[in-house]
Amino acid sequence: MNTKNYSLAFRRYRFVHITCYVVLFLSFGLCTIFPMTTMPGYVPILVGLLGIAALLWSAIGWIRILRNLERLSENLGKGQPGLSIARDSSPASILAKQCTETMRNSQGKIEESTERQNDISLKFQLVQKQKHSIEQIIHTIRDAVVVVDSFDRIVLANSAAEQVFRFSAQTAPSRPISEVINHHEFVAMMSHIRQSKLPHLKHELTIEKEDEKHIYDCILSCIRDEQQEISGVVAVLHDITREKEVSQMKNDFVSHVSHELKTPLASINAYAEMLVDGEAQDEEAIRQFCTVIQSQAQRLNRLIEDILNISRIESGLIKVDKQNLSMALLVRDAVEMITSYAQEKNITVHNPPAILYDQVYADKDMISQVIINLLSNAVKYTRQGGSISIDSQVNEADGIIRISVTDTGVGIPPEAVDHVFDKFYRVEENKKVAKGTGLGLNLVKQIVEKVHGGRVFVSSEVGKGSTFGFEIPMAAGQPVTTKA
Amino acid sequence: MADKKILVVDDEIHIVQVVAIKLRNNGYQVYTAENGAEALDLAGKERPDVIISDYQMPVMTGLELVENLRKKSETAEIPVVMLTARGFAIDDQQRESLKIAACLSKPFSPREVLQCIEEVIGHSAAA
Repeated sequence: MNTKNYSLAFRRYRFVHITCYVVLFLSFGLCTIFPMTTMPGYVPILVGLLGIAALLWSAIGWIRILRNLERLSENLGKGQPGLSIARDSSPASILAKQCTETMRNSQGKIEESTERQNDISLKFQLVQKQKHSIEQIIHTIRDAVVVVDSFDRIVLANSAAEQVFRFSAQTAPSRPISEVINHHEFVAMMSHIRQSKLPHLKHELTIEKEDEKHIYDCILSCIRDEQQEISGVVAVLHDITREKEVSQMKNDFVSHVSHELKTPLASINAYAEMLVDGEAQDEEAIRQFCTVIQSQAQRLNRLIEDILNISRIESGLIKVDKQNLSMALLVRDAVEMITSYAQEKNITVHNPPAILYDQVYADKDMISQVIINLLSNAVKYTRQGGSISIDSQVNEADGIIRISVTDTGVGIPPEAVDHVFDKFYRVEENKKVAKGTGLGLNLVKQIVEKVHGGRVFVSSEVGKGSTFGFEIPMAAGQPVTTKA
Repeated sequence: MADKKILVVDDEIHIVQVVAIKLRNNGYQVYTAENGAEALDLAGKERPDVIISDYQMPVMTGLELVENLRKKSETAEIPVVMLTARGFAIDDQQRESLKIAACLSKPFSPREVLQCIEEVIGHSAAA
């Protein structure tokens, strides 16, 4: 029902009520003035009855209105928009109808708005979830991430950043970076990139962490908003300490190797030139020069072989030729090879009698090289008049053969012992004692552990000597070879 | 040249021998040492005109040898020629402060060593 109809109906209803009251008033008036008139006696009775009827009709109308309004109010209170009372055209019914309709419209709007609210709530939850997920991703990144706003206040910092700069990321948000991070250079860089508006800035930072200096590759980037204004800065710090160490080790290696290669090369070059220049004055001198050239060429070759072997073992490309061998025979041959070198330094080499069953399934050349490397190292780092002993032990229960070489040499400081098998590592204190590339023991470790599934070991005491050795599995019930 | 004494120091015996032969063949009086300590001792006794030393040696490096030579008045002014496998191992400042006359990189040529010695002796004589 529209407003016009409702207004017309209500005016009509009001007219009827007013008429009732007029009739009632007139009937009372007539009754009052009746004694002063000549009207027949039934007229006031009729008028009175008419007035009473009008009063009753009006009262009934009011009662209906009030009752309908009461029911409407009850229904509205219960949240029921519909009313079944509006079957006539009374203002109450019309009002009820209109209220019902308004309520229906309102409920539709409420439902629509509730639906929209639910939708927004879902989207909000989704955004919250995505935010949490992104934060988790940032927190799990191993690189340190720090984000600041345009006022240099921390917006976000992940766990790695907490560890690097030692602060609590929970209390950090919204606080100025200079209060949270105690690293002047980093804080200044964050401020500098924001002010200079550079898109990116890359810098190497040194930060002390757990009493160790760590080097970080620090990349800073400006964050821009929709208006392309700088709204903050994000910094990512990647720990490159290990990479730097490896790089340094490689440089040291190249430097060592080039020195080691150049030494025999220098001899070859010098003696060849002497031959060319006729500086060898007799046949004996010529023979001596040629011998030197030959031995230095062999030395050069051994060095190159060592480097290549390590490289091949590491890359898994080495050709392994395993067979059943007697370890005692391999030790005996190695001792024979090293004897002249030991004699030059007046060093005694003790090799106990061979063990009866000491067969291993191994690559002969490789295991020979392991024993020779250990023996030559022992001679190299033992002073004149010292002694070296080789010990073989068989652990039948575990099926293992253990070879150890003990010397009375200079020994190794405790802090260096764990590193002696590292590639290119040389004990600083012993560098002056003998030359080396730092490759020999690494090759021993690679051959024993990678190729033969064994293990290497070392124990040492400065000034008293060292014991180097290895264990490899015994040949399991395979025939013993007669050649070694 | 017979009166000129040269001390050759290197732990590589072949290098010592080849340089010694080249210099002897050219009339120099040559002394040899296998390490810095031995060289220091010989330098004090024989007062060579030039010392040729390897840079990297066990016991005492070439630089340590020169430092020790400079501490003693009798060896303080002896010109030193350094043999090195790493041309960059000695910087100009070290060369100047330790009065290292020349550096030769390995692999060197005996002719080159001879020429260098002659130049150093000539320069010393002129000075």
